[in-house]
Amino acid sequence: MSIHPAQRLEQAAAAARPSRRGLSARHREWLAGYLFVAPDFIGLLVFVGLPMILALVIGFFDVNGFGAFQFVGLANYQRMLADPLFWQCLRVTAIYVVLLVPALYVVGLGLALLVQRTGRFNSVMRSMFFAPQMVSLVVIAVVWQLMSSDKVGIVARLFSSLGLGGVSILGNPALALYTVVFITIWFLMGFYMLIFLGGLQDIPREYYEASEIDGASKLAQFRHITFPLLRPTSFFVLLVSLVAAVAGSQAFDLIYVMTKGGPANSTQVMIIYIYQQAFQYSAFGYAAAMASILVVILLALTGVLFVLTRGGRFEHE
Amino acid sequence: MSNLPRGWSRRAILKGGAALGAAGVAGLPMIGSAFGQDNLLHFWQFYAPGGDVKTQVDWFMKMADDWNKQSETKVQLDYVVNNDYMNGTKLSTAFASGQGPDIFIISPGDFLRYYNGGVLLDLTPYISAEAQADFPEGVIASRKVDNKIYGIPMELEPMAFYYSIKAFEDAKLNENDVPKTWDEMLELGKKLTTADRYGLLFETQPGYYQNFTWYPFMWQGGGEFQGADGKSAFDSPAVVAALKLWQDAINSGAAPRQVNSGGWDVVANLGAGYCAMQNVGIWGISAMDNNAKDVPYGIFKLPTPKDGKYVTVGGGWAFVANAKGKNPEAAGKFIAWALASMDKDSIQREVDWCTVAKSDMPTRTSALQQGADAFNKGKLGIFSKDILPGVRAEPRLPPEVYKIISDAIQQTQLGGADPQATATAASQQLDAFLATYKGAPMM
Repeated sequence: MSIHPAQRLEQAAAAARPSRRGLSARHREWLAGYLFVAPDFIGLLVFVGLPMILALVIGFFDVNGFGAFQFVGLANYQRMLADPLFWQCLRVTAIYVVLLVPALYVVGLGLALLVQRTGRFNSVMRSMFFAPQMVSLVVIAVVWQLMSSDKVGIVARLFSSLGLGGVSILGNPALALYTVVFITIWFLMGFYMLIFLGGLQDIPREYYEASEIDGASKLAQFRHITFPLLRPTSFFVLLVSLVAAVAGSQAFDLIYVMTKGGPANSTQVMIIYIYQQAFQYSAFGYAAAMASILVVILLALTGVLFVLTRGGRFEHE
Repeated sequence: MSNLPRGWSRRAILKGGAALGAAGVAGLPMIGSAFGQDNLLHFWQFYAPGGDVKTQVDWFMKMADDWNKQSETKVQLDYVVNNDYMNGTKLSTAFASGQGPDIFIISPGDFLRYYNGGVLLDLTPYISAEAQADFPEGVIASRKVDNKIYGIPMELEPMAFYYSIKAFEDAKLNENDVPKTWDEMLELGKKLTTADRYGLLFETQPGYYQNFTWYPFMWQGGGEFQGADGKSAFDSPAVVAALKLWQDAINSGAAPRQVNSGGWDVVANLGAGYCAMQNVGIWGISAMDNNAKDVPYGIFKLPTPKDGKYVTVGGGWAFVANAKGKNPEAAGKFIAWALASMDKDSIQREVDWCTVAKSDMPTRTSALQQGADAFNKGKLGIFSKDILPGVRAEPRLPPEVYKIISDAIQQTQLGGADPQATATAASQQLDAFLATYKGAPMM
């Protein structure tokens, strides 16, 4: 429907005029924008920001979980330094992160490259890779636990057929963490594949066509076109997988159901230990102090990632 | 142009939303007051009304109904899923926010956490002297501090070994071949191990339950975690031997590094043919009878070390009242009425719990007598005659001590650590903790 020029002039004049409540159109737009953002902002503030600040404060108290609060200054942090299990958990978490983040990146990208072309077969494969995401983590953990059962589990039988009978992938402290990492990769790979697929679709086809005319190999195309142009996606994947590895639900749910942090604390990542201290030992102050340290570590790692990748921006930006 | 239905405007929707929000906020105190009624006691547990064992649900429902018929203060059963109750956040967060239940159940492993937190009500004033004497000291001691009773045990669950009769018969063995010593147990475990079955099974997952099942092996050789002087006694030959026993069971290949479901689950392990002998408690009788009817099994008491003394551990849950609840006095009266009165119904309730709802040993002398027929026959009879005489109450320990012992068990059993070095290191950790511990005495 066309608008008469006279009407358009009238509308423009009205927009410039303060409303009967004293707000100009621009201010009203500005106000509306903030009002729309407000629910999210308030939600984040109440359910994320405030608890973080409270956790930081509680870290300076001895909180027994039954209403007693006693200011203890840095005692919880001193206890942390002297707690061998804290360091053990930090070490386990570090190994978990170092193994998981690069592996998720490589596997996610690899799968995306494999199934990026359209077609029925690739559609089926994409669905299959993504399928674990559709199942509850607890169910995933229980199923893998059954599959990994000593002697009678499908994994044990597979190992046995390869002449490796007696291997206990979740019951041996030397193997349990690697098993957890493997299962985590299997669970998350479809999600990261999907993100990479989105990134790959953003790369203009003309670049590949031009490079083909120039005689570039597939490897050269990947090195000089795909990988550099995936920079923003790569940054996003690394950031999200880093946060997931340090404090993600899969790091807690899978480990808690499958091993409870065992055997011999070999899968005891920080968030499991924090959970135990808070909810099983009622040491809320100590747990809050550890959580604060974990946040600081996560912030530091995120900062390093920002610096190394320039926040996912291209060279010319 | 607006996409809103005719008659609707953005302003009207915003007004309506604001009105609803205001109504919700205004209603919050009413929700709080509904929860806070003094004449309604909330009883949190993992049996009813949502539990999946009908006999247990029925027992709890009948108890609450019987009480509600004769009391102005009503009891409401609030079901919490088992795993959430034991390992989840529900109970902890409720107490942390001052919204703990009026009545709840706890195991000895958790007693000190709640007692030291100041939330357990002294139940002694509500229990007659005769009823107090009805609980054998060995059963009630772990729920007492300074001679005051803070929990009424509803069951006594001793540990034993269950064995597969078929596995024994396949190995040309019979009930006379059940092991009596640790060495015999390890030998038999190896003999009964096949390509797809373990001969022996101990709990492998870290937790209160694993500690609970390990304690009797420590006690049998005379080991303790704390000496009479209040210092650690963990660095002892008996402790080292008990740690080594579980390690040997794994290293010999007779016992698995992982168990199905949990070491407490006799159906998923022995019942499923995963092992031939399993270290499990009295609850296994009803579990096997209900869920593995076709699997013939036998029971024998824990083997002992050479020159050792037969001891087993008896666990079980107890009713406790929240001292900071809305109506602690009524909660105390309810618990005394339910489980600690000399009234015939109260005693029968205990008998029914142990023989109809579950398969357990009673915590009261009168219940053992009143239900003598049931307790002395069949598999329960094995427990009451052979196993019960050596029972020792599950110790109550603060979480810090539990964790030190748990780590020692895990490191030796599955981590391959040297038992002596592990016991020494754990003992040093225990001493460091005991020097600063200020709560109720450990037992």
